[in-house]
Amino acid sequence: MDTQLTQIKGIRDGLLMTISSGPPHDELLKILAAEILAKSTFLRNSRIALELHVRKMHRDQLEDILELFAHHGLTVWAVLSKRETTREAARKLGLATRLPGSQMDLEGNGRPEPVMASPKGRSGRPPNALFVKETLRSGQAIDYEGAVIIFGDVNPGAEVVADGDVIVWGKLRGLVHAGANGNLKATISALDLTPTQLRIADQIAVTPKQKRRQPMPETAAIRGGQIVAEEWH
Amino acid sequence: MSEGTVITITSGKGGVGKTTITANLATALAMRGHNVVAIDADIGLRNLDVVMGLENRIVYDLVDVIEGRCRLRQAMIKDKRLEGLSLIPAAQTRDKMAVSPNDMRLVCEQLREEVDYIIIDSPAGIERGFQNAVAPADHVLVVTNPEISAVRDADRIIGMIEAEEKGPGRLIVNRIKPDMVARGDMLSIEDIVEILAIDVIGIIPDDEEILVSTNKGDPLVRGEDQNRTGAALRNLAARVAGEEVPFLDLKAKDTMLSRLRSWVGGRS
Repeated sequence: MDTQLTQIKGIRDGLLMTISSGPPHDELLKILAAEILAKSTFLRNSRIALELHVRKMHRDQLEDILELFAHHGLTVWAVLSKRETTREAARKLGLATRLPGSQMDLEGNGRPEPVMASPKGRSGRPPNALFVKETLRSGQAIDYEGAVIIFGDVNPGAEVVADGDVIVWGKLRGLVHAGANGNLKATISALDLTPTQLRIADQIAVTPKQKRRQPMPETAAIRGGQIVAEEWH
Repeated sequence: MSEGTVITITSGKGGVGKTTITANLATALAMRGHNVVAIDADIGLRNLDVVMGLENRIVYDLVDVIEGRCRLRQAMIKDKRLEGLSLIPAAQTRDKMAVSPNDMRLVCEQLREEVDYIIIDSPAGIERGFQNAVAPADHVLVVTNPEISAVRDADRIIGMIEAEEKGPGRLIVNRIKPDMVARGDMLSIEDIVEILAIDVIGIIPDDEEILVSTNKGDPLVRGEDQNRTGAALRNLAARVAGEEVPFLDLKAKDTMLSRLRSWVGGRS
C-alpha cells in the first residue's frame, strides 16, 4: 500500500488517529481493519481519539468503526470532526467530541487548557480559521480557539464561541461570542445580523427591538467600550 | 407485495398536535384504501387510542408485544368502522425505558410485511421516547405551530433527525390562523420555512371542530362536511401517498355566507 489511510500520533491522552476522507464506508472499514492489524503491537491497549476531518459519518457508520476497534481490544473515546452532524452522532454514542486541530484539553469540557506563557497557543501564532459549511440548528454548538467562518445560517438556539472573529455568510439569529479569550478587537459579521445575543470579549449586546428592517450585511465590534453594529463593507 | 413504509410524526415541543395528526393521517390513508397501522410510542402517557376512539377495546399493548406476552396480531386493534385501519396502543403503566430503539425496529420489520403504512406517534421531547419513535422511520414528519417556541424546538429536532440519518424530514405547520397571519400577528408559512429550510408537506388551518372530533374519538377526516381543516388533512394523506396536491388557498374567506353556501352545495 503506497499511501496510508491513517496517520497516528501520540497526544496527551493516548493516540490520535487521523483518517483521511476518501473511500466509501465499506471500503474504509476493510482498509482500516487491515491497518489496525498491521499496527496491532503498536496500538495495543491504547485509548484512541479519531480525527475524521470533514468526512460525514452517521451513527450506524460510527458504530461500525467503534466495533472494529473494539474487536481488536482498542477503545475509541473521542471524535474530532468539522461536521456538527458527525459530532452529534458521536455524542449519541457516548463519545467526547472536538473540532479538528483543537488544542483544547481533550478531556476537558470545551475550555482550553491553561497556557501560561503565550495566550496565542503553543506555536505562538493564532490557529487558522475554522470553515463550517452547514447551517447550525437549535442546540448545535461550535467552540473554537481561532476565527470561525460559517457558510450557512446560525439559527436561534445555536451557539458559536470563538477566540477570534466570527463571520456568518448567512443569517445570524442565534448566539455568537467572538473574542471569547478576552480579545477586545474581535468582530462579528453577518449578511443579516439579528442575533439573540452577541458577545465580544466580556461585552454583551442584544438586537434592538425594532420593526423588521431590510436585511443588510453588518459588522459588530467594540467601539468606546460597547458593542455597536455598522454596515459591513 | 411491496414492503410497508414507516412514517414517524414528531415535534420536540408538546401540544402541537402530533397525536391528532397521527390519528387523522392514519384514518385518511385507510380511507384511500391502504392497510394502515398507527403505533402510539408515548409509553406511559397514552392518548392515540382516545383520539381514535378505540380506548375501550385495548387488551394488549406495545410493551406486551415487546416483552413477549402476546403476539403482534393480538395487540393490533382493528377499527371496526373503517376497513384497513388498526392501532397498537402504548402501555399506560410503564415508561419510555420499557422500549428500546431496536425493539421498535423489530416490531416495524414484522409490520412492514403486513401493512402499507405504519404511522408512529412520537412523544414530545428529545430523549429515549423520541429516539424509539424515530429509529424505525423511513420518513419523519415534523409538526410545528406558527409560534416561535414550537419552531425553535422543530429546528432542534430536525438537527437530530439529520444526525440519525433520517433525512431532514418534512414539515407540517399545524393550527395556522389565516386571518391572524394576514394581520401580521402570526408567523406565516414563509417565516417558518425561512428558518427551518425544509419542505412543507402539510398546512393545517386551526378549527374548533378538531377539538370536538378529538373528544369524540372520531377523526375529523372521516366527516363528510366541507370542513377545510379536514380537507387539509386529507390532502396531507394524499401527499404522503405520493400524489401531488396543491395547498389550499387559506386566504379565501371562510365566512358564514360561504359556509352556508357549502352546506347548500353539499346537499344538492
